[in-house]
Amino acid sequence: MLKTSHAAHRDLSLPIEQPVTRPDTKAQVVIRPLPAQARFSLRLNEADLEGAQTAAGVTLDIPINTRSGSAERSSIRLGPNEWLLTGPYDDAEVIASQIDAALSGRFYTLVDVSHRNVGITVSGRRAAEVLNSGCPLDLAEAAFPTGMATRTLMGKAEIVLMRLDDTPTYQVECWRSFSTYVRDYLIEAAREFEPSIA
Amino acid sequence: MRRFSLLTLLKEATNAHQGWGRQWRAPEPKVGYDAVIVGGGGHGLATAYYLAKEHGMRNIAVLEKGWIGGGNTGRNTTIIRSNYLYDESAAIYEHALKLWEGLSQELNYNVMYSARGVMMLAHNVHDVQSFKRHVYANRLNGVDNEWLTPEEAKEFCPPLNISKRLRYPVMGAALQRRGGTARHDAVAWGYARGADAMGVDIIQNCEVTGIRRGLSGAVEGVETTRGFIRTPRIGVVAAGHTSVIMEKAGVRMPLESFPLQALVSEPVKPVFPCVVMSNAVHAYISQSDKGELVIGAGTDQYVSYSQQGGIHIATHTLDAICELFPQFTRMRMLRNWGGIVDVTPDRSPIIGKTPVQGLFVNCGWGTGGFKATPGSGHVFAHTIAKGEPHPIAAPFTMDRFRTGRLIDEAAAAAVAH
Amino acid sequence: MLLVTCPYCGPRPEIEFRCGGEAHIARPAEPSKLSDKEWAEFLFVRTNAKGVFAERWNHAHGCQRWFNALRDTASDRFIQTYKVGEKRPDRTPGQERL
Ligand SMILES: Cc1cc2nc3c(=O)[nH]c(=O)nc-3n(C[C@H](O)[C@H](O)[C@H](O)COP(=O)(O)OP(=O)(O)OC[C@H]3O[C@@H](n4cnc5c(N)ncnc54)[C@H](O)[C@@H]3O)c2cc1C
Ligand SMILES: [Zn+2]
Repeated sequence: MLKTSHAAHRDLSLPIEQPVTRPDTKAQVVIRPLPAQARFSLRLNEADLEGAQTAAGVTLDIPINTRSGSAERSSIRLGPNEWLLTGPYDDAEVIASQIDAALSGRFYTLVDVSHRNVGITVSGRRAAEVLNSGCPLDLAEAAFPTGMATRTLMGKAEIVLMRLDDTPTYQVECWRSFSTYVRDYLIEAAREFEPSIA
Repeated sequence: MRRFSLLTLLKEATNAHQGWGRQWRAPEPKVGYDAVIVGGGGHGLATAYYLAKEHGMRNIAVLEKGWIGGGNTGRNTTIIRSNYLYDESAAIYEHALKLWEGLSQELNYNVMYSARGVMMLAHNVHDVQSFKRHVYANRLNGVDNEWLTPEEAKEFCPPLNISKRLRYPVMGAALQRRGGTARHDAVAWGYARGADAMGVDIIQNCEVTGIRRGLSGAVEGVETTRGFIRTPRIGVVAAGHTSVIMEKAGVRMPLESFPLQALVSEPVKPVFPCVVMSNAVHAYISQSDKGELVIGAGTDQYVSYSQQGGIHIATHTLDAICELFPQFTRMRMLRNWGGIVDVTPDRSPIIGKTPVQGLFVNCGWGTGGFKATPGSGHVFAHTIAKGEPHPIAAPFTMDRFRTGRLIDEAAAAAVAH
Repeated sequence: MLLVTCPYCGPRPEIEFRCGGEAHIARPAEPSKLSDKEWAEFLFVRTNAKGVFAERWNHAHGCQRWFNALRDTASDRFIQTYKVGEKRPDRTPGQERL
C-alpha cells in the first residue's frame, strides 16, 4: 500500500529493496504498514472545549501530546487547539457527521486527511532504539509511556509518533509522499536487530 | 623588520634556527593615538597596515581583546573567490582578490594563497539558472567564472560523485579558477608584522569596554581593560561583537550574530585538488596543505556569542559531504569549532562612517569575509584617513538600510562563504 | 543541540523548533506615518544583545505554537519561556549567571 502513485520516488535504493516479509513473532523489531484509516485534522479553540469534551466517541479534553481511545477510534491532541482523529476507513462520513453534531454552534475546522497520511507500526523490544535513530525525543518509559503521542521528526520528515501499548508498539504517521523515505529509514535503522518487515 | 629570503633562511638553517626574533612588538598602550582600530582580526590588522603604508598614519594602534587572529580570522575555512552577483559586490571582492594575488610579495610573508579553483555545485534547476546568471554577470564585471557540465566538474575534481542517483544530483557547476584558499593565521601575522614595522602598536589582551564621546558628540577615546586611550578616530572591526561595541557609543546596528561552524578531519595524503561548495546541501570542503579536509557547516538559527554551535548543524553537513564524496565516509573528524559571524539583513558588509563623528565601522562580513580581508582593510583605511568612503566602499554604507539601496546578495545567491 | 522548553509541550530538542528572532518588536500601526529612519529601525535594526535576550520560537515540528523565550546569548542557557501575549519577565542581567 505504500507504493501508491503519490508515494515519493527515491532513486537511490537502500540495501533492502523489497520488503523482507518474515513473519517472526519473536523478532526484536517488527515494522509493518497499517491498513487504510479514516483521519481528520480538527482545529478548535481551547475555550470552545467547554461542553464538548467528547465527540464522535472519543475524548477531546485530554492533555496535549497524549492519545485516548482505542484502535478503533482515537483522538490525539497535537497542540492546544489541534487534534488528529482516527477511525475505521469506512466510518469517515459517520465520524465527520458526529463531530459536526457535537461541535455545532462552535467555530472549528474539520479536514479529512485520510489520504494524506500513512501509518506504520514499529513494535518489539528494540523499537525505541530504531525510532531514536531518526527521532530526537526521549522515548524512555518515564518520558514517553503508553498513551503519549506527539508530532516530531523522523530523519528529515515530520511525523506523528504515538505509543500504543506496552509491547511496546509505536505508530508512526507521516505524509504519504514521505512514507517511502520514512519506511526505508526505519528498515535501515532496524537492520542490526534482524527485524521482521512487512 | 627582518626581511625573509632564501639567504636569511640558509643563514638561520646553519644556526639551528635560533636567530629568528619576534615578528612584532608587544608595546604598552600610549596615552593617545591618531586613530585606534578595535579588533585585531585580519580586517583590523589590514586596515592598520594600509593606514600606515598608504596614508602615512603611523601613530595608531590595534586593540585586540584576546590574541590577534583569534576571532573568525583564525576559525574560518579560508575560501577566497570574487564571483558575486551585484556590481558593488563584484567590485569589492575582486579588489580583494587582486590584492591576494600579490599579497605574499607585498608583505614579504607567505600567506599561502593558492588559486586552486572554487567550484560551486548546482543541484537543481534553480541553482543552474542562478549560477549561469552569475557567470554572465561576472563576465560583464571582468570577473572570471565559467559554467561546467557534471562531467567537466568531475574532471576538475575527481572525487566528486556525479551519479544521477544522488538525492541531490550534481547538475553542473560554476568554477572560478582564480579562487582558492590561503593560510588564515599567516594573513593576520603578515599584516601585523608589516604594520608593526611601520610603527603601529599592536596591543593584545586589551578589551575595549567603552567609547567616550565629548560634548559635541564626537569620539574622544576608548575605555579599555588597560586604561583610557585618547583618540579622535575609532575604527570598529570586531566582527561578531560589533553590536556590543557600537552600543557603547549609542549606535544600534542592523546586525545579528550567529555561531558558524567548521571542522577538520584527520590528515591524509593529497586527495582533493580544489575547493567545492554546495549551498543547496550546505557543505564546503577543501584540503589543507597539512592534509586535513577542511569542512564548513552552516550557522545556528539563533543569536549567540557562545562560539560553539549545535552538533546537528555539523552532522547535517557531514551527511551531504558523504553523499557527494562517498570515499570520505570512513574518515574521522578531529576537531570542530565555531566563530561568531555578524550578519546584515542583505548579507553584504557595512563599511564606512556612522552617525557619531570620528567613529567608523567595518562589519557585517558574516559567513564570508575572509576572502575580502585585503580589500576591506584597504578601502576602510582610506575611509578613516580621508573621512570619506573609498569609491569601492561607498555603496556599503549603513544608510542603505534607510534609503533602501540594499545589495541583496542573500536573495541573489544564498551566498555563504 | 539546545533543549527548548515549549510552554505547551515541555522540554524538547531544538531541531523541532524554528527561532523567529528578536521578540517584542511591534509592527507600527501606521507605517506610512513613519520616517524612513524609523521604518529602517523597525525592519532591520536589532538589539543583538550579548546576555539576556528575548526572542521568538515556534515549535514547528511539535505543537506548532509560537512562544517567547528569555535566553542568555553568552551561554545559550534558557532562562524562561513564556506564551505569546505575556509580558517579558523581569530579569536583570547578571542574576542568571548562577
Ligand atoms: C567557521 C567559519 C568559516 C568561515 N569560512 C569562511 C570562508 O571560507 N571564506 C570567507 O571568506 N569567510 C569565511 N568566514 C568568515 C570570515 O572568517 C570573517 O568574515 C572574517 O574573518 C572576519 O574578519 P574580521 O577581522 O572582521 O573578524 P575577526 O577575525 O573575528 O576579528 C575581530 C576581532 O575583534 C576582537 N574583539 C571583539 N570585541 C572586542 C573588544 N571589545 N575589544 C577589543 N577587541 C575585540 C575579537 O577578539 C577578534 O579578534 C568564516 C567564518 C567562520 C566562523
Ligand atoms: Zn510545543
